[in-house]
Amino acid sequence: MANVSTPQQKGMGPGFWPVTLGLTVVNVLISIFIVTLPIDKYLPEAAVPSGEIDALFKFMSVLGNAIFVYVVGYLIYFSIVWRHRSTDSPDALGIQIADNHTLEFWWTAIPTVLVGILAVFSVMIWYGLQNQLGDVLTMEAIGHQFNYEFRYPTLKTSVQNDMHVPVNTPVTLHVTSVDVIHSFWVPEVRLKADMVPGLVQTLRFTPTRVGKYRIICTEFCGVGHSAMDAALYVDSQADFSKWLAGQAKGGSETAAGVAGVPLAKGVADQGKVLFGQKCSTCHSIGPFEQKIVGPGLGQISDNPNHPNLITGKPRIAQNIAWILVNGYDGPDKSTAVEKPPIGVMPNRQANALSNRDISNLTAYLMSLK
Amino acid sequence: MAVAAHPGVAGDHIHPAPEGFIRKYVFSIDHKVIGLQYFITGGLFFIIAGLLAEAIRVQLIKPSGLILSPGAYNGVYSVHGSTMVWLVIIPVLTGGFGNFIMPLQIGARDVAFPWLNMLSFWMFPVAGAILFSSFIVGAPDAGWTEYPPISLQGPPGTTVWTVAIFLIGISSTMTGLNFVVTMLKMRAPGMTFTRMTLFVWASLATAVMNMVATAALSAALLALFLERVFDVPFYDPARGGSPILWQHMFWFYSHPAVYIMVLPAFGIISEVFPTFARKPIFGYKMIAFSSILIALLSFMVWAHHMFTSGMAPWLQLPFMIITMIIAVPTGIKIFSWLATLWGGKIWFTTAMMFSLGFILTFTFGGITGVFLAAVPVDLQAHGTYFIVGHLHYVLVGGSVMGILSGIYYWFPKMTGRLLSEKIGHWNFWLFFVGFNGTFLPMHWLGLLGMPRRVATYDPRFQFWNDVSSAFSFVMAVGLLLLFINIAISLRKGKRSGANPWGARTLEWTISSPPPYYNFKHIPAVLKNPYEFSEPLPYLGLDNEQPPGPPVPTFTHPTEVGATR
Repeated sequence: MANVSTPQQKGMGPGFWPVTLGLTVVNVLISIFIVTLPIDKYLPEAAVPSGEIDALFKFMSVLGNAIFVYVVGYLIYFSIVWRHRSTDSPDALGIQIADNHTLEFWWTAIPTVLVGILAVFSVMIWYGLQNQLGDVLTMEAIGHQFNYEFRYPTLKTSVQNDMHVPVNTPVTLHVTSVDVIHSFWVPEVRLKADMVPGLVQTLRFTPTRVGKYRIICTEFCGVGHSAMDAALYVDSQADFSKWLAGQAKGGSETAAGVAGVPLAKGVADQGKVLFGQKCSTCHSIGPFEQKIVGPGLGQISDNPNHPNLITGKPRIAQNIAWILVNGYDGPDKSTAVEKPPIGVMPNRQANALSNRDISNLTAYLMSLK
Repeated sequence: MAVAAHPGVAGDHIHPAPEGFIRKYVFSIDHKVIGLQYFITGGLFFIIAGLLAEAIRVQLIKPSGLILSPGAYNGVYSVHGSTMVWLVIIPVLTGGFGNFIMPLQIGARDVAFPWLNMLSFWMFPVAGAILFSSFIVGAPDAGWTEYPPISLQGPPGTTVWTVAIFLIGISSTMTGLNFVVTMLKMRAPGMTFTRMTLFVWASLATAVMNMVATAALSAALLALFLERVFDVPFYDPARGGSPILWQHMFWFYSHPAVYIMVLPAFGIISEVFPTFARKPIFGYKMIAFSSILIALLSFMVWAHHMFTSGMAPWLQLPFMIITMIIAVPTGIKIFSWLATLWGGKIWFTTAMMFSLGFILTFTFGGITGVFLAAVPVDLQAHGTYFIVGHLHYVLVGGSVMGILSGIYYWFPKMTGRLLSEKIGHWNFWLFFVGFNGTFLPMHWLGLLGMPRRVATYDPRFQFWNDVSSAFSFVMAVGLLLLFINIAISLRKGKRSGANPWGARTLEWTISSPPPYYNFKHIPAVLKNPYEFSEPLPYLGLDNEQPPGPPVPTFTHPTEVGATR
């Protein structure tokens, strides 16, 4: 037993070079398949960065495929050629070779170079993403449990669950959330950003193809997560203008009144808690002059010298509730009041206020002395 | 005995084995018993989490969901993920294989702190019981990552979850510390760093990561607990907290945790390959060095989980590039394993089959990992089923395949009996085919628009979800065979003898199962263990070893059904 013969080997073993050639041919064929694969057919490239991102994806697929095919090919080939055969003695040993510095150098160096090339290509595409055109249309998307709200600069009220953008127009989209983390993903645009409460992220893209696409939430946000989606309509310029005009008209008509708000049932104590969560970032409960972003609200009901509400209306519960419902972002053309102060009062959707919340908040504001 | 030739080696001071059942099998301080306790408890949790996984796949057979309400579904996948990561893979690899095998391979009689080891173990079933009890009060529902603010709204079980995972974290930290000291201070004489087995190298890297990284998770969990119970606003943005803070803390642990889960599997593969190829591991130093390099780099890449979460764009670049660089040391390992096969006399034992399968699935998972490292591709793939596919390829195709390979390899050492190779090969093929069929379709489902963590989905994705669900049953049958195989073998498995495979590392030089004290005389180590043509490089072994290289206890490998 002490003299177990250690087999010697010249060359790479039977069939190594033909197998290598075969694997190379397989690699070339798969690479051609990948490069010519019409991704667009399976998942439309509907906006400007999507083509570049798909190009990077294909490039990585070619590299990854090459490595995978060689690794698995040699794995199977070595397993067959170098198996323990029934004719071998039970204690037959393999070729006792423990390393080869040349080989190790190359299989460190080649992947390093490939990773380098990949990194450069990725950074180039990444740089392109940072410098996308935008700002021809600037808008906001706000995540709620469990729907999307969209705001357009020319609309007074926000749009729920339908996002319209005009084709071939660079869009800048600011996304955030009012409750938990959601995410904004349109597979056909190939872009995604988490909607994080307290943080605004920006996506820039230029839709290039008219159609209807899905906006999908990919961050778990609660029991309604599975069903949280919205439609992205890429319209022709004319359709988009028509839609926007319709929204503007419908918007002022539907500017909600306070009919559904049970003002009489408001509980000031609960309103106080809500005020701390929703309002105190911008409003103090000091005198009117004590501004943070908006005016102090501490004397809104009891100080006879307090100015009228920003809407020009008297300071009664119903008018306060109206602002909580509709928000305020500038003077209504129909009533002539002075220029509004800096800052915009968000509407109930943005603040996620229920009718009950509004009545509680109103009761709290009216109770302040 | 040969000990006389090594007067420096402590030989005589052996503690007697405990007598009573409780001290012997329940509150044992013997690393081997504790290792087996980890395997048994981990196996139990694996069955529970596996059933939860099947519940997920059954639910997704129909686009509108088949058996669960969205709320129940969220609890099921959250507990599935948390259990598999913290109660199965990490404890079985570190606690199970680490405890049983590592001290034997360095020639020690136990770990450095046996009582601490016992404490680490007993926190683990307690944590498991606490985690599963969350189903009573309402299971955590925001996934194993539990991002706030949704986890602040989550059901009461979320608080229970933080307690359970916190306990597991403390247990991991203690085990890490214990193992680092063991490997640094308790190696047999002559066992220099370059003579340690590659499993020990991987365990060392893992133990350091466990010791350092877990603290970040513990801190994050403590803050989440304080916020949920005492209303301290760490994460709630409405009160000045930062939800992103959690993500940074969580991934600062959980990315190294990915390597905590896979490095020991690398170590197992590095033991199985040379034994069954009957030749030295190729590129020993490069494999050992790459383990350390991976452990080091794993601390610098955590934010690649957060490319869409909100960070300064320039910050994405270092995370992207360092993540891609990890492909190089990982590639070195894969190429070295391939080169180990070249020129071998390969025995296709079940352990070897799982190791070979590991190369295929882990390479695939590694490649899709590089895809995700590239920010522009990640913007499409993040948060979708592509991620689900990728993470199962590395955690099931990597860690679990490594675990299965290790179980088939070391089961004879642990029990003195062989597992059936016939059932073993069925186990492998059903598992391997089922695994790929389950998780491969998820990649294109994700890229085409299926988000993860959904109880219902767009009907156009039904076909591939059904394929995935069907194959998941094949995989489950494969795993069932493992448990059947173990049950049969424990009753009437063939006796294995000390060294059924003709392997060369220290654990195979002592009887199976090893005696309480492992080594009556601590052996001295002369060389690294992988030179198959030479006699064993150990002096002072307890039992008489025949001169020359060790020979399998079989007259032919076909006796174990190995050659095909």
